[in-house]
Amino acid sequence: MNDRKTLVRFFTIADYEEEEIWLREQHKNGWKLVKTVVPCFYIFESCAPEDVVYRLDFKNNTEDRDYLQIFEDYGWEYFNSCMGWLYFRKPVSDTDTEQDSEIFSDDASRADMIEHIVKTRMLPLLVIFFACVLPNFFRSIEGGYPIANMFTILFTVLLLLYLYLFVHCGSKLRKLKKKYGGDR
Amino acid sequence: MDNKIKRIYVPMTESGFYILFCLQQPQHGYGISQLVRQMTGGDLVISAGTMYGTLSKMEKDGLIAFVREVEKRKLYQITALGAEILELEIRRIERLYKNSKGENANE
Repeated sequence: MNDRKTLVRFFTIADYEEEEIWLREQHKNGWKLVKTVVPCFYIFESCAPEDVVYRLDFKNNTEDRDYLQIFEDYGWEYFNSCMGWLYFRKPVSDTDTEQDSEIFSDDASRADMIEHIVKTRMLPLLVIFFACVLPNFFRSIEGGYPIANMFTILFTVLLLLYLYLFVHCGSKLRKLKKKYGGDR
Repeated sequence: MDNKIKRIYVPMTESGFYILFCLQQPQHGYGISQLVRQMTGGDLVISAGTMYGTLSKMEKDGLIAFVREVEKRKLYQITALGAEILELEIRRIERLYKNSKGENANE
């Protein structure tokens, strides 16, 4: 039985490139990712240090068998899925060119993935925010009922958390989209 | 022909063109990528995610269709609509090529 360790790390939906780099570093240091547990736990197993590329694709659970078969044909090991993200890895020694270590080879498909994230993750969050968090925040400020203060604090925290996530993810995804053209 | 489809696919990306071109024969995703590597001397590599994404989009838009499964892999082939789009795209590229050589392409 190999050694295991669990790390806590929070990546938002816009930080997948940082997450890929971090996982690659871990593998170089002899820790390969076994699985992730919602919301932010990473379970690693000790292994021989190796340079292995990690790639994340966002499919929001719409992937099928054929999808995984294509990735397998390309030499990608699929080993984990979490909240719509699929985790792939491939040893650098198995790649001939730089493109072999990418799962997207043109900017149009990179931009497609970002659009998919925005549509299936950001928009529902926005709806919850305007339909639930915001009205309750105002109601708790106005409300004179006994536990109103507690709710005010709770909803203020939620509000700030939401605002932070929106600003962070929104600007990050916009930047990524710009980097990849995204005119398609 | 559906003008919307035409607007989306003409002109198309280089990857899109080669994928559609290769599907004049039944082929699966990885097989297409191998063919394209050969045809372009390794210059054009179509990655797994791009391949899958393009295939599913083209299938949804009716340019290609699923033919059969061989060893767990889905084989696709071009449809009549796909062939029409490919023809349009080839003519566009021919004109582009002729004009780039200074020939009159409008004959």
